[in-house]
Amino acid sequence: MVAERTLLSRVTAALLAAAFALPLAALVVRAFADEWRAPAVVPQQFGLRGVHEAFSSMSLEAFGNSLLVAVLTLSAALALGWPAARVLGERRLRRPGLIFGVLALPLLVPSYATATGLTEWFLRFGLADSLLALVLAHLVLVLPYVVVVLLAGFGPALRDLEEMGDVHGLSRPARLWLVTLPALRPTLAAAALLGFLVSWSEYGSSLAVGGGRPMLPLVLLPFVGSDPEVAAALALLFLLPAVAALVAATRAVWEPL
Amino acid sequence: MSEELRCRALTVAPGATAILRGVDLTVPAGTRAVLVGPSGAGKTTLLRAIAGLQEIAEGDIHVGERSMRGVPPQRRRIAYVFQEPRLLGHLDVLDNVALPLRAQGAGRSERRAAARERLDEVGLAGLAGRRVQGLSGGEQQRVALARALCARPRLLLLDEPLASLDPGRRAELRRLIARVQAEHEITTLMVSHDRAEAAELAQHLALMIEGRIVQQGDPRCLFERPASAVVARFFGATNIVQGRVRDGWMALGGGAIAVDGPDGPATVAIRPEHVCVGAAAGVRATVAEALYRGTDVHLGLDLGNGQRLEASCPVARAPTAGARVTIAVAADHVWRMPGEAAAPAGRSPAHVRDGSHST
Repeated sequence: MVAERTLLSRVTAALLAAAFALPLAALVVRAFADEWRAPAVVPQQFGLRGVHEAFSSMSLEAFGNSLLVAVLTLSAALALGWPAARVLGERRLRRPGLIFGVLALPLLVPSYATATGLTEWFLRFGLADSLLALVLAHLVLVLPYVVVVLLAGFGPALRDLEEMGDVHGLSRPARLWLVTLPALRPTLAAAALLGFLVSWSEYGSSLAVGGGRPMLPLVLLPFVGSDPEVAAALALLFLLPAVAALVAATRAVWEPL
Repeated sequence: MSEELRCRALTVAPGATAILRGVDLTVPAGTRAVLVGPSGAGKTTLLRAIAGLQEIAEGDIHVGERSMRGVPPQRRRIAYVFQEPRLLGHLDVLDNVALPLRAQGAGRSERRAAARERLDEVGLAGLAGRRVQGLSGGEQQRVALARALCARPRLLLLDEPLASLDPGRRAELRRLIARVQAEHEITTLMVSHDRAEAAELAQHLALMIEGRIVQQGDPRCLFERPASAVVARFFGATNIVQGRVRDGWMALGGGAIAVDGPDGPATVAIRPEHVCVGAAAGVRATVAEALYRGTDVHLGLDLGNGQRLEASCPVARAPTAGARVTIAVAADHVWRMPGEAAAPAGRSPAHVRDGSHST
């Protein structure tokens, strides 16, 4: 019985792994193939044409833009989301549902629509096509995710620990460093990962308010149908920071300081 | 090092209703006071107000000569042991104990040496390098106690630190608290809802009910000379008898008991363990109920006229339900309560209220 269950769970795990690994493997193979037509399992011709195309100056600029916007957006989202999540998590509002509902509203429509609406205002405030506009548009989409994940970290348990810090004489910065941050670490890591990934892969709002600024998802998409080798190589480029973020967040959640 | 704690007319009202209503409490320097009361009486609120975690509306708190009004909790140097240990999971046991010294800016080796001493005091010297997650509840609370004492606080507050422990561990930790308190001569205020625990630990005992301290003093005084029926019931003097005293006697069932003081209406309290069952002469009663409680037998006695009395009887000499017995109460075990309003006129013979059962 136990052996059977072990076998079953191994098969399940293998299938799951395959489901994740196969598309990734296809991307890797495609990125390093110059010719790979359908019935063949192995490419007819390996080559670096896709990689060369993908590492053009425009896609590198897009990579830099996307990274900059994601980091700025995430920083702003954590700075704004922290107090918001604390207030909501500690049940200090009479109508927390209403506040959160308003916050989550932009997620209910496609991001392109939200950003198009925002563009109307950016035009009127002279922000159109600026980096700030792009960060603000991403922020509207990232903030609800960050708040909802951070929410889980705030509440009576954290407050109790912070009170303990207070009565034992910890100053505010010391309390933040020794009590709050270590207690919030897993939540913070999860929120940061999610926030980064949402901004990093955001397409619609980057298109609507970017003003032609190259962003990695925008650069990637046209190649998907027309040139799969370049698309695959770009996808791998796309994957790198995301995997790095995932690894960093996983370490922060499960490994001791 | 140790200093007196004085609360004067302390009122705490975070919402529409006051939780503390004019609390006066003094704990002399270096002594151990216990605050008891039913759940929701405001005991924890008082500790939180003293520690600075709860804003006070009126009154003042002094530790030594210093008023605590406006002093943030970080600068009060009042140690607080909470009901839960509240340890930091990312630090080892020793660094948890050393936390208050770290807050004061002590160097690492200095604070770890001091923490090691405190840890030794609570009998956990061997666990210094362990993570706190692996410790038992009792060990965690010992770590919390060591942490509280680490920075030589001026005052120690304990909020039911034993509540979540099993009875054996609880007794052990109770003795440890008493020992450590005496060695450090630290002024200590502990909250409890367990009156036996309070009797054992208190040098000064205070009972709080609905935000007021209704009686305080020597523990024996609260147990044996309660100021009111409420106090009597809380401390287990469950027999509250109202009646009229005539020539030093008050009617009880078919007989009478000796009561001190002038003639007139009176309310007396009699502890169940002071009701002598099987006396040679006294009041006749029928055992309505006999409840074996391990260490004694709890008797419900029917005195006729609808009067009932509770008694606690050694297991070996306990009558069974239905038995007819003679009971007596020694005169010095009948406490006539001073503050209590007497039975309204026309309500004789004596009316015995059924006290709530207590364990």
